[in-house]
Amino acid sequence: MNSVDSSTGRGGTPVPQNAFMDHFNLEARTQRVWDLNHAVWFTLMGLGGGVFLVGRILNLTEGLGHCLGIPMVDIVSFVAIAIGGLILVADLGRPLQFWRAFANIRTSWISWGAWADLVFLTVAGLLVLPALTFGDLQPFDGLGWEPDGSDATGLAMEILAGVAAIVVMTYAGAVLARPRSIPYWNSPAVPIQFFLSSSAMSVAAVLLLTAIHDEPISGGQMLLLGGLTTGLLTSVIVHLSTHQNAPGKQQSLDSLLRGIHRRVFVGGVMVLGTAVPALLAFVGATTSGIREVAAMISFALLLPGGLMLRLTTLRVGIFPPVHIQSK
Amino acid sequence: MTRWGMLIDVGRCVGCQACTVACKTENQSPYDAWYAPVIEWESGVFPDATLNYLPTLCNHCEDAPCVDACPSGAITRRDDGIVIADEDICIGSRACMAACPYGAINFFEDSGTVSPPVASTAIPESVPERYASEKHVSGAISKCTYCAHRIDYGIEHGLEVGVHPLATPACVVTCPAECRIFGDLDDAESNINRYLAEKGPGEVLRPDAETNPKTTYVGLP
Repeated sequence: MNSVDSSTGRGGTPVPQNAFMDHFNLEARTQRVWDLNHAVWFTLMGLGGGVFLVGRILNLTEGLGHCLGIPMVDIVSFVAIAIGGLILVADLGRPLQFWRAFANIRTSWISWGAWADLVFLTVAGLLVLPALTFGDLQPFDGLGWEPDGSDATGLAMEILAGVAAIVVMTYAGAVLARPRSIPYWNSPAVPIQFFLSSSAMSVAAVLLLTAIHDEPISGGQMLLLGGLTTGLLTSVIVHLSTHQNAPGKQQSLDSLLRGIHRRVFVGGVMVLGTAVPALLAFVGATTSGIREVAAMISFALLLPGGLMLRLTTLRVGIFPPVHIQSK
Repeated sequence: MTRWGMLIDVGRCVGCQACTVACKTENQSPYDAWYAPVIEWESGVFPDATLNYLPTLCNHCEDAPCVDACPSGAITRRDDGIVIADEDICIGSRACMAACPYGAINFFEDSGTVSPPVASTAIPESVPERYASEKHVSGAISKCTYCAHRIDYGIEHGLEVGVHPLATPACVVTCPAECRIFGDLDDAESNINRYLAEKGPGEVLRPDAETNPKTTYVGLP
């Protein structure tokens, strides 16, 4: 059974009204609810949360440059999450009502994500505030904590922001994975892939900053990057090889591996966006001379690879037919 | 406790789409938004080919994924089990549309595309509230409510829900083949349960989605 991508109506005008019932036929239908904007949002959220987390865990915040006294790693994180949040709000049907997204924390992963974004930006923003410098002036220097988390209050804030960052990196995948409507999405593999992709992109981004600032990159850091990308590739392969004949997922796999998304997914996501960075990272771990170049190339491949992973995941979201006729 | 549900005898459906149009008229749903379409498909091979019809609508699930997915709390389940959407609270995240296995939720984004109000004579007393061209909010979702306004109207005026035409969903009232039956699932003597007892256990669409729907079917091919 073929899926139908009915993205345009008569005369080529967009038909966004209904997920799949604009044709009254019993067919598998590709979702048209979320697309590029959501993929960009998912990617920026993953990168933003991950860069903060990786920078703090690897203790790399101080050596990689500052802007107005605040570590560049944290700036990258805040900017990525802020832009991601703005894209999310702009894509809502009623952007001015965005504050209502915080309402349903009992069951909605989007609400959880909204709270995680808010907590992260607030706590992490407050954490680095004492370091804010204008010329010789540090207006918030008197606040009672250390921005690098070296005292008890700072550490507590760092941990809270770190937990929020993990939720920020993962919740987009959880939004897709929770409902059973789209079999390809309904799997723990989706949030796992999003988390691993975010982590790999973030490690590569931090290593890129390290290379730019002529700081040494250790073999252990390259091994971490290699491990994350290998984990990502493994989770993608496992996801592709399970429940292959389930209605809906079968059509998704056809589209990914044999259909219109084959080149982007197999070539862009799996090979260039994951396997090549993994290989470079493992080679870099054993060969110190190429680590800087490997880090730069890895970031240049992982970022678009991560975006394409999310975009293709969204675009192969296929609803099975509402009824499957008995033979 | 009352728990409204609908039973659809697929074997009776003639595919006239009268329910589809009645729903659209009653609810003044936005352009290209269909709350109760009848899906059609062919099966078999000549000379034994058949055209099949499947009337659909919101399944008003007990475990409604749209309710769980909605971040703003715009979609809720009433005490009588009807799943309704408050368009004023909806923020247009469309998470419910991705979560619904039945494609029963519609997104409406352009106030210029709403059909003009058409006079309905079904419930003259409730017509002013139901002239929905102003009711549908741009950038929000809308969906079937089992014609909750008609049910509420019937209860308020002492009419038997699911039996009296003014206290029954428009699609049920309109169906010329009487393939839709509406009633209280918790009342063993209700018309829906009597029909089920006669015709055998009902089936649901997308059982793999485990949503526990309150719209059930008999005679599914």
